[in-house]
Amino acid sequence: MLNVLVIGAGTMGSTHGDALSKMENVSLVGIVDKNLEKAKELGRKLGAEAFGTYEEAIESKPIDVVSICLPTPIHKPYVEKVADQGFHIICEKPLARNLKDAREMIDYCKAKKVKLFVGHVVRFFPEYVQAKEVIEQGSIGNVAVARTYRGGAFPYGSNDWYADYESSGGLVLDMIIHDFDFLRWCFGEVERVYAKSVEKGNERRIDYSLVTLRFKSGVIAHVEGSWAHQTFTTNFEFAGETGIVEHDSSKSVPVRFAGRNQSQSGGGVAVPESPLKKNPYYLELEHFLSCVESDREPIVTAEDAYKAMEIALAALQSIETKKEVELDAFARIGGVK
Amino acid sequence: MKVGIISFAHSHAYGYADAVKRIPGAELVGIADDNFERGKEAASRFDTKHYGSYEELLSQDIEAVIVTSENSMHHEHVVAAAKAKVHVLCEKPLATKAEDAEEMIKVCKENGVILQTAFPVRFNSSIIRAKHIVDQGDLGEILAIKGTNRGTNPGGWFVDPEKSGGGAVIDHTVHVVDVMRWFMGAEVKEVYAEIGNLISEHEIDDCGILTIEFDNNVFTTLDCSWSRNETYPTWGDVTLEIVGTQGTLSVDAFAQKLDVYDKEGVKWNYWGDDMDFGLVNDFLTSVSEGKEPSITGTDGLKALEVALAAYESSKKKQPVLV
Ligand SMILES: NC(=O)c1ccc[n+]([C@@H]2O[C@H](COP(=O)([O-])OP(=O)(O)OC[C@H]3O[C@@H](n4cnc5c(N)ncnc54)[C@H](O)[C@@H]3O)[C@@H](O)[C@H]2O)c1
Repeated sequence: MLNVLVIGAGTMGSTHGDALSKMENVSLVGIVDKNLEKAKELGRKLGAEAFGTYEEAIESKPIDVVSICLPTPIHKPYVEKVADQGFHIICEKPLARNLKDAREMIDYCKAKKVKLFVGHVVRFFPEYVQAKEVIEQGSIGNVAVARTYRGGAFPYGSNDWYADYESSGGLVLDMIIHDFDFLRWCFGEVERVYAKSVEKGNERRIDYSLVTLRFKSGVIAHVEGSWAHQTFTTNFEFAGETGIVEHDSSKSVPVRFAGRNQSQSGGGVAVPESPLKKNPYYLELEHFLSCVESDREPIVTAEDAYKAMEIALAALQSIETKKEVELDAFARIGGVK
Repeated sequence: MKVGIISFAHSHAYGYADAVKRIPGAELVGIADDNFERGKEAASRFDTKHYGSYEELLSQDIEAVIVTSENSMHHEHVVAAAKAKVHVLCEKPLATKAEDAEEMIKVCKENGVILQTAFPVRFNSSIIRAKHIVDQGDLGEILAIKGTNRGTNPGGWFVDPEKSGGGAVIDHTVHVVDVMRWFMGAEVKEVYAEIGNLISEHEIDDCGILTIEFDNNVFTTLDCSWSRNETYPTWGDVTLEIVGTQGTLSVDAFAQKLDVYDKEGVKWNYWGDDMDFGLVNDFLTSVSEGKEPSITGTDGLKALEVALAAYESSKKKQPVLV
């Protein structure tokens, strides 16, 4: 039995809490949010105690693992605080807002001998996992061109922190980092990055980025991210020498409810669902917790999370300078941004 | 209207010939092809005469020709047609070198004949509808466009750079760049490209992702790869995702299709309007009414310049100004 505490009762805190509360040998011991009302509401739903601060929670509860679901810029102080206590850590992605923080967090956890897991959940989406397996099986040959899309509406976080790009890193660091991580998982290290993005996307509340990655293996990847569309969808295409594997979440919708009544859920809009016994967040958390119990390396390491940040920050650098960014050189200086 | 076709090297010739046959008042006078077998076969299929040389065809009483030879031959064929005072519809890419394209434009102008670049996508009904939506302002100001024009490696002379001028990049960049220029009334400022020879065994560029910035500050990307394999249900595509300040517009120009499952697998059977007919009809109308062509040689040159810049960028591994 592992005792898990969730910090942050926002979108991700709810997702983590929900999954953890369903796990058999996990005890969700509490939800922390500086907005105590939010923590209480989620706690009520999940049958967990609510706390206004982390310090209060650790005083009254036994804890093994803490899941940090806070806005990106405060991942670091919380990771360090939790590591001080010797608890293992699950931290939402991106690990940090800049590479210096990320490196310090990784080193800190090593020094304190606690495990640090980062929520690169795309590695737990069955369609992505299976695509990678198809690629590895070799029936489509070596991949030449990879295309990914991830997008939806401009996000609203607490205090609208996503719109503060100094905090969130915007679409490139916050969202398509998922695809950077997945592509790196499939194709290895990146050689060069070139990217374009909407100017002042946060002020317009419309963001859209198109990123080209050239991998050392030769693979060319096109990564598209959007905070300009109405509904959230993802898709990908891997075109190899002898075949193609593709997926579009907007097309693999097994259940679609369309209420006639405006007051029904969705208010007359069709609500698409893709039901699974265990959603990817559940699978991810279950995997991380099993790594704690059996002292194993996770499918995605903190180092992987750092590497994904490097790609994202190199893309931001390319957007700003309007030039290509060679990743090795960028990494050597620890990323300017 | 008496029309000829110079060479069936490019398979688009079949669609154009078919269109000529269906246009009232148009007559397919002959097909010039120095590949006798191919020329004779096409001539019998379209019930017309085969000429062993283009000079012979051009000395007939014709007003217009369609040039569908290998890319590197466009220059010679178009210049000869212009000098024979015959109007020209030339397959894309207009040429393999910018100098050739410039000279083709010049010679056609001097001889008072139309030079139209064959960009049939402008006559795709879905593309036309999308342009209308853009023109009405429903999208607001355009911020970005993502385009694809993926296809199948055609093989043959297409993979011989001497004849084609290049692979997927020169073959598949020009259509979508032309549509982007047409939609926005803007010119390309800068090009960045990652290009590879990762799919076929031939030594030819077969995949590429271009980032193209326009002088109205709109950024775009284009996948021009020959990345559709044999069993993929279609040979090619044209898609656009346009992001504007007031909305987004997704266009899949060949989405009007049936899914057919037979012994060979799945095939997409297109049932939308025939854009080749639209293109040829437009060209012949311009000729007969003595109008300026709706798509000019300059349009062909502008699109070609982007493909050439993409090759340069890929070599230099940095963005290049156009
Ligand atoms: N893996 C994914 O798919 C995914 C999806 C969305 C967000 N995220 C990441 O998850 C993290 C959280 O994002 P979110 O959308 O849940 O944000 P959110 O704004 O919805 O939630 C953050 C919560 O933290 C609380 N909070 C802020 N400061 C606090 C503090 N000092 N102490 C205690 N509570 C505090 C806020 O009150 C809020 O309830 C971010 O790093 C984000 O990038 C990951």
